[in-house]
Amino acid sequence: MAVSNAVSAPAVTATTKDPAGRPPNRYRRALPQYAAISPFFILFAIFGAFPVLFSIWLSLHSWDGIGAMQWVGLEQYSYLLSDPKFWAAITNTLIIWVLSTVPMLLLALVIANALHNATRFRSFYRIAYFIPNITSVVAVTMVFGSIFSNNFGLLNAFLQSVGLNKIEWLSQPWGIKVAIATIVTWRWVGYNAIIFLAGLQAIPSDVYEAAKVDGASPRQTFWRVTVPMLRPVILFAAITSTIGGLQIFTESQVLLGNSGGPGGAGTTIVSYLYQNAFGANQFGYGAAIGWALFILIVLFSIINWRLIGGDENDRLTSRLRRRAGKEQTDER
Amino acid sequence: MTLTRRKFLTLSTGGAAAALGLTGCGGSRDSLGGPDELSMWTWVGSVNDSLIGQAEKAIPGATAKRLAMTRIGTSYKTKVLTALAGKSLVPDIVAMNDDVATYFPNADQFLDLHELGADRFKGDFLEWKWKLGITPENRMMAYPMDTGPTALFYRRDLFAKAGVETEPEDVAAAAPDWESYIQLAKKVKAAIPGSAITDNITSIYLYALAQQTKRYMTPDGQYIGDQDHLRQVWDLAVRVVKEGLSANAQADTTDVNAVVTNGRLVAFNAAVWWAQLGPKNAAPATKGNWRVCAPPGGAGNRGGSFLAITKYCKDPEAAFAFITWLESAKNQAEAFLDPVLFPSTPASYDDQRLTAPDPFFGGQRIVDVFAASAEKYPGSYFSPYDSVIATPITAELVNVEVGSKTSDQAWKDAQEQVHRELSRMGAI
Repeated sequence: MAVSNAVSAPAVTATTKDPAGRPPNRYRRALPQYAAISPFFILFAIFGAFPVLFSIWLSLHSWDGIGAMQWVGLEQYSYLLSDPKFWAAITNTLIIWVLSTVPMLLLALVIANALHNATRFRSFYRIAYFIPNITSVVAVTMVFGSIFSNNFGLLNAFLQSVGLNKIEWLSQPWGIKVAIATIVTWRWVGYNAIIFLAGLQAIPSDVYEAAKVDGASPRQTFWRVTVPMLRPVILFAAITSTIGGLQIFTESQVLLGNSGGPGGAGTTIVSYLYQNAFGANQFGYGAAIGWALFILIVLFSIINWRLIGGDENDRLTSRLRRRAGKEQTDER
Repeated sequence: MTLTRRKFLTLSTGGAAAALGLTGCGGSRDSLGGPDELSMWTWVGSVNDSLIGQAEKAIPGATAKRLAMTRIGTSYKTKVLTALAGKSLVPDIVAMNDDVATYFPNADQFLDLHELGADRFKGDFLEWKWKLGITPENRMMAYPMDTGPTALFYRRDLFAKAGVETEPEDVAAAAPDWESYIQLAKKVKAAIPGSAITDNITSIYLYALAQQTKRYMTPDGQYIGDQDHLRQVWDLAVRVVKEGLSANAQADTTDVNAVVTNGRLVAFNAAVWWAQLGPKNAAPATKGNWRVCAPPGGAGNRGGSFLAITKYCKDPEAAFAFITWLESAKNQAEAFLDPVLFPSTPASYDDQRLTAPDPFFGGQRIVDVFAASAEKYPGSYFSPYDSVIATPITAELVNVEVGSKTSDQAWKDAQEQVHRELSRMGAI
């Protein structure tokens, strides 16, 4: 406190003592403040804004990383639109995203609810569920790689021991996607559960008491009180999962290598970007893919917002109300 | 120190100016390191540590210079490209892998070693290896390091169990070409079910291609990857799979090591470095059971690296003195012991350090087999686009192996993709 007093006192006297007749130079007076906040902006300009702007510039060029950059205009983008492998990468990513996000968010909700109601060892469970998120993706993927491995994987050994046929997880297009989605789900389910748990704990207990008094079953309480009150948290989890899901890279890279596996069935958008920029040294094309990914993420965030969020439309609640109404009529 | 406002402002504006100065490049075009240092970048396991240790004290043949070496962990090439793109603080010497030709379009970034008198040393090296570092415009961009001669590795114990030839000379005589080798492999498979002679389709393709005198392009830039010589290699790879001789352990999966460990891989036509990556690491229990012999289908080479001096080098003479010393026959023999780099200098092949019997191979003098392969290999032209062309072709081969495409369809799709890629890059 002593320091701040010492600093502010002369500043005040300096401004009041400004000679009359000469208007104080506003810019000069504000300079110290600008200088004080400048480090963030300077660092942001160098490490944030410049790379972003440079990647736009780069996507309009053909560049192998060493020689002169060659201006090609929008050609990278028109090639991108007609590139079947790029579209395949988008399809792969979306399938992996659905395969991982849907079970992940549902499981996370169930786990969060269980954690919320748990009476013993609460901290232990919370830590246990969160641990997958802080383990190394590469190490985890290698472990999963030996679980899903075609010939000598644990999963196939199990399937065969119970008399089923083995599945070539890492050769079949769907097997690859299921394997990647499993790793993603395993890694993020605990993280989302903790976020949901935080949301649950913010719901006032009198709402539940009121529901209890009205004779609501636990199921009705969950769908008609908990879920609607959690909506902002669900929206947050859905959007972050979407962004994360569209950027899946490490799992595919470690599990299947640069090629994305047989038929490129595990090539995600980011791994396709990596293949082009750092595998084939086509940095311009890589930048163009990056911008396509950016547009896609914006698009999906809007869709998510519309589906789950939206203040007045109350889409989720009205849908749930309809479903709950249907359930009631079913029960009768 | 008490922090007054004035001091704080001076410090922060100074820091900001320093940050700007760092990115401003300041017009410097120097290489990395101090004036008495030569900087070198290479990846882990590409040079002998004790030799580098000597050069870090003083470079032999150059006065008052020492080496400052950086081992780049991952994504080596990306980091080299980034440094070159920055046009400042580039290392004096960079190592290059067998994709050396991808740097050819930017050969002007590196010194022409002809001008530094490299031709004096030409006679010391394998002729084909020497040529690989020279661009079609006759600019010597890269100096040879190690090579990757191929040979047939096989499990002597399993061959004995199957009742086929077991001694290296006899196996080589029984399987001089791929046809007779496949027949031999079928005999082994009949006796030992599940036997395979390759981990996957791609390996057969790459090692058969490594025996060819022509690859994907001619030195004058014509695409020949759709011609018969390549289709034959393709068909051979497909045939091995159709005969049931591939283990279907796709690259980059844990299966690749598993087929070595559990003995499914009874034989493998592979490069010298595979011994270390494969059986010695993955299956140490098989020690003494492996042998090597002359490869079916002729001598081949896969892998091997190079050294280049960038144009930012502050003392080209000293850099050249260093690389010629490091890659002399005597020092290449040293690098064979650790980290197992096969010399490109034939004089090393008689060195006691290479001719010592290898207990992993039952005391066999394996250097004789690889040296013969290295000396007989005819050499082939690697174009700047080889890796771009190889990617779709090997990817489509995998589709054949996992059964999602017929061979003809996959070939057609691969050629289409190659044409698309090459026309985009302006190569055809």
